[in-house]
Amino acid sequence: MTTYQFFTTAWTWNSIVLILSALAAVGYFLTFGQRGRPLYFGAALVVFLLVFISPFSALANGYLFSAHMLQHILLVLIVPALLLLSLPQSFSLRPPLTYLSYPLIGWVAGVGAMWLWHAPALCNAATTSRAVSAIQTTSLLLMGSVFWWQVLAPREAQRLSPPAGIVYLFTACTACSVLGMILTFAPVSICPVYQHPVDRLGMLSTIRGNWGLTSDRDQQIGGLLMWVPMCLIYVTAILAQLARWHSSPAPQTEKSNA
Amino acid sequence: MNGTTTIAEFRDAILDPAKRAHYRLAWISTVDHKRIAVLYMLTALFFFVVGGVEALFIRLQLAVPNNHFLHPDTFNQLFTMHGTTMIFLVVMPVVFGLANYVLPLQIGARDMAFPRLNAFGFWCVPFGGILLHFSVLAGGAPAVGWFSYAPLSETPYSSSPGADYWAVALFVLGIGSISFAINTIATVISLRGPGMTMRRLPLFTWINFVNAFIVIFALPVLNAGLAMLLIDRQLQGHFFLPFRGGSPVLWQHIFWAFGHPEVYIMALPAFAIVSEIIPVFSRKPIFGYEFVAASSVAIAVLSLGVWGHHMFTVGMGRPLDVFFAISSMLIAIPTGVKVLNWTATMLGGRIRFDVPMLFCIAFLIQFLVAGITGISHAVVPLDWQTKNSYFLIAHFHFVAVGAIVFAVLGGIQYWFPKMSGRMLSETLGKWTFWLMVAGFNMTFIIQHFLGLLGMPRRVFTYPDLPHWGWMNMLSTTGVFFMSAAALILVWNLATSFFRGKVAGDNPWNAWTLEWATTSPPPHENFIALPPIRSRRPLWDIANPDRPDPIVGENSAAVTLPDHNKVGILTFILSEAGFFGTLLLAYLYFYARPEAGPGPKELDVPRTLVFSICLFASSFTFWRSEVGLTKQRRGSMLGWLALTILLGGVFLVGQVNEYWKLFQTGVDLSTNMFSTTFFTLTGFHGLHVLLGLIALLIFLWVAWEGDFASGRGSAFKAAGYYWHFVDVVWVFVLLTVYILPLIR
Repeated sequence: MTTYQFFTTAWTWNSIVLILSALAAVGYFLTFGQRGRPLYFGAALVVFLLVFISPFSALANGYLFSAHMLQHILLVLIVPALLLLSLPQSFSLRPPLTYLSYPLIGWVAGVGAMWLWHAPALCNAATTSRAVSAIQTTSLLLMGSVFWWQVLAPREAQRLSPPAGIVYLFTACTACSVLGMILTFAPVSICPVYQHPVDRLGMLSTIRGNWGLTSDRDQQIGGLLMWVPMCLIYVTAILAQLARWHSSPAPQTEKSNA
Repeated sequence: MNGTTTIAEFRDAILDPAKRAHYRLAWISTVDHKRIAVLYMLTALFFFVVGGVEALFIRLQLAVPNNHFLHPDTFNQLFTMHGTTMIFLVVMPVVFGLANYVLPLQIGARDMAFPRLNAFGFWCVPFGGILLHFSVLAGGAPAVGWFSYAPLSETPYSSSPGADYWAVALFVLGIGSISFAINTIATVISLRGPGMTMRRLPLFTWINFVNAFIVIFALPVLNAGLAMLLIDRQLQGHFFLPFRGGSPVLWQHIFWAFGHPEVYIMALPAFAIVSEIIPVFSRKPIFGYEFVAASSVAIAVLSLGVWGHHMFTVGMGRPLDVFFAISSMLIAIPTGVKVLNWTATMLGGRIRFDVPMLFCIAFLIQFLVAGITGISHAVVPLDWQTKNSYFLIAHFHFVAVGAIVFAVLGGIQYWFPKMSGRMLSETLGKWTFWLMVAGFNMTFIIQHFLGLLGMPRRVFTYPDLPHWGWMNMLSTTGVFFMSAAALILVWNLATSFFRGKVAGDNPWNAWTLEWATTSPPPHENFIALPPIRSRRPLWDIANPDRPDPIVGENSAAVTLPDHNKVGILTFILSEAGFFGTLLLAYLYFYARPEAGPGPKELDVPRTLVFSICLFASSFTFWRSEVGLTKQRRGSMLGWLALTILLGGVFLVGQVNEYWKLFQTGVDLSTNMFSTTFFTLTGFHGLHVLLGLIALLIFLWVAWEGDFASGRGSAFKAAGYYWHFVDVVWVFVLLTVYILPLIR
C-alpha cells in the first residue's frame, strides 16, 4: 500500500467510538444546555475522533510506537484539557469525588498515566487486547482530567494559585521528560509488539522503506514526542499561569515554591 | 561595624594596629551581603585579568600562520584555562556578586536569607580558582577544553593531574553556585519588605530569581558528571571509557544538559541588568513588564531541554536532530520578545546617553547578531559545517562578551555609585566603552568569515591559506583595544573609588528601592522603607500627583514562608537533580548489560530488611517532631535517638553488603554494573551519613536543652532532608534491586 492509498483508505469507522461520541454530545447538551462552552467540547470531540478514526489510529494499532505515543499524549493532555474548559462555571465535584481535587492526587494521576502505561507488559497488552485498550483509553481520559483539574477547573477558587500551578506543571513536565529520555535512549524495545508488527494492512514495507522508520527510530521518535513536544504543552500551560497571575486583581496568595 | 559606632571609636580603631588588623579580618570573616558582593566582584576582576592575559597569548599565537610562539600543548592548556576561567571564575562570580549586592536592597531586605551560607558560597570561588590553577604547579594545567570531552579527559589520554584539578575545582565552584542560588530563592521568597509582593519585584530581582532556579537544576547535573569523571580517573571506573564499556557520548549529554542552561545562567543576569538600566535611562517604565518577566520563565524552562543542539556533529541520529533543532529554534521566541520590549522601552523615551546606557545599546546590537548566528546553529546541516569552525567561536563570544560582558560593564557603571558612594568617571567610562566596542568587533566579526572560510577551532596554528593571515592579524589587533579598555576600566575603578564625584543617594534618578538608601548603604541597609504599592516606589514618592498604577492588592498581613523551609526545599531540588542524573546514568548502562557481575549478585531480601529500617526512621523522626511541638523533651529525644539508630543500622547493612561484594572480588573497577552500582548507592550512603551527623548535632543541642525555646524550624528543615534521603532510597531500591526481578 502506498502512502497516498494509506492516508485515503485507512480511516477506521469504529462504530463504538462513533456511538460513544454521539452519546457524549447528547449528554453534554442535556446536562449543561446553554451554560456550557460547546466550542471547547466540540474541539475535544474532534480530537477524540481523530485519535480513533484517522489513519494514525491504524498506525498506532500495532505498527508504530510513535503513533501510539501521539495518541497517548492527545488523550492525556489535549482531550481532557478541552473537556474541562467546556464545563460551565457552576460545575463542581460532588462529595465522593472531591478527594480528586487534592493537588498530589492530580499530579500522581497525570504523571502516572505516562509512566504506568509504558511498562512493557501493559504497553504490549494495550496494543494486543481490545479490552485492555478500552481500559487504557478510559483511564487516560480520567487521569488527564484529574491532572488538569488543578489548573483548568471551571472556577478560579478550585484551581491552584498561579505560582503553585507553575511548580505543579514544571515538576510534572520534568517527570514526563525523564520518561521520554529513557524511551529515547533505551536500546531495548519498551513495547515489543511494535518491533515485529503483524502486517494487516500491507503497510510495513512502506513504513520501514519509504518512511525510513525502523523500529529503533520509531521508539526514539516516540520518546522524543514525550520529551519535547509534550513538554511544550506544559510550558504553554506555565505561561498561561503567568498570564493569569499578572492579570488577576485578586490579593496575592503567597505560596512557597515546593 | 554597626550603626552605633561613633566617630571616636572608629578613629581609635584605625589608629590602633591591633584593631586595624581586626578590620582587615572583618572583610575576610564578613557575612554582610554587601561586602561579600564586593569580594565576589573583586575576585571576578582578578580572574578577568588572568583570563584576559590567557586570551592575549592565544591571539598572539594565532596572529600569523605557521607560528611557533607557543607549544601546542601550552596552547591547549591556555584555551582550556581561558574558557574555564572566564565562565566559572569571571562571569558567574560577577553576576552573582551584582545580584548579591543589589537584590536584597531592591526587595527591602537587610541581608540574604542565609548570611553564613552566602560567605561559604563566595569562598568557594577563590578556593575553586586556586584548585584550578594549582594544576599548573602539579604537572600541567588541564588541556582538554572547557567541555573536557571524554575519552580525551580520561586517564589513558590525559595522564597528568590537570583534568583532576579541573573536575574538583568545578565541583567546588558548582557547590558554591548552588548555595548562592538557594540563598537567592530563599531571600526573594521569604525576606521581601512590606508591600513588596512577588508581582512588584523589580525585573532585576525577578530575572535573577528565575535564574537561580536554572542554577538549581543545571549545576547538580554537572556535578554528577564531574563525580563520574573523577571516579573514572581516580578509581578506575568505567563511565566514559569506550574500551571499558563506557559511553563518551553520555558525558556529552551530561555536560551539555548543564552546558546549555549555563549559557542562560550567564545571560539571564545580563538581561536583568539591561531590563533595569534601559528604562531608567529612557525615563520610561519598561514596556511590557509582564512579557519580560514571563519570557524569562519560558527561557529558563526551555533552556533545560535543548542541549542536543550542541551535539549535532556527534551523530545522534536524525530523530534527535530534528526534535532538538525545533526546540532550539523555539528559544528564539522569548528572547526575541525581550529584545522587542527593550527596544520599545527606548522608543519615544528621553534617552540619556550615559555610559551604562551606551553599554546597554551596544548589548542590544551585539546580542541581536549573537542571536541570529545562534539560531543558525539550530539548523542541523549548517551546524555540521560551522560547529567546529571559528564561526562558532565568533558566535559564542558575541554572546559572552558582546552581550554578557557589555551588560555587566554597564551594570558596574550603574551600581558603582551605590557601592562606593562615588561616581565612576564618565570620560574614562566612554573611553572604555568605545575601545571595547571597537576592539571586540574587530576581533570577532572577522572570525565569522574565518569560520566560513573553513578555519577550524581548537588548532594551535594554521597554514597560510588565502585571506587567513590578514583576518587573524586583524582579529589579534582587536585584542589590544580590548586590553586597553580593560586597563582603563581598572584605572577608573581605582581612581574613582578615592576621588570620584560624590554620588548621593540616587544619582541616576532611578525608581527601585536600592536608591532609597544612602550610598553606600548602612550595615542594615535601610533606616525605614518607603511605602511600596507599585513597581517603582521612588517614582511614586517623586510624583505623588501621578503615581504608577497599583499592582495587585496590598494584603494587610502577608506571612512570608519560613526561610529555613524554603532553603532546605530548594536544596532538596538540587539534590534531586544530582541523584536523578546518577539514576539515569545507572539505567543507561543497565539497559546495555555486559559480562561479569550484575544485579543478580545482590541480596534483595536482606536489603529489603535494612531498607525497612531506613523507612521506619522517617516515621520515628516525625514522632520526634511531634514531641518537639508538644514540648515533650523526653519523647523528642527518645524518638530522635531511635531515628539515628535506625539510620545507623541501615548504613551497617550497606557496609556489610559492600564487604560481601569485595569478598567475591567485585569492586568499583570490575565492570560497568559495579561502577554504576557503587557510585549510586555510595552517594546515597554518603548522604545518609551526612544526615546522621546533622541529626547527631541536633540530638546534642536538644540534650543541652536549646530546643526548649521552641526553635523548631531548623529541626523541621533537617527533617525534610532526612525524608528526602529516604525517598531517594525508594527510587534506588526500585531501580537497582526490584527492577531486575520484574524483567
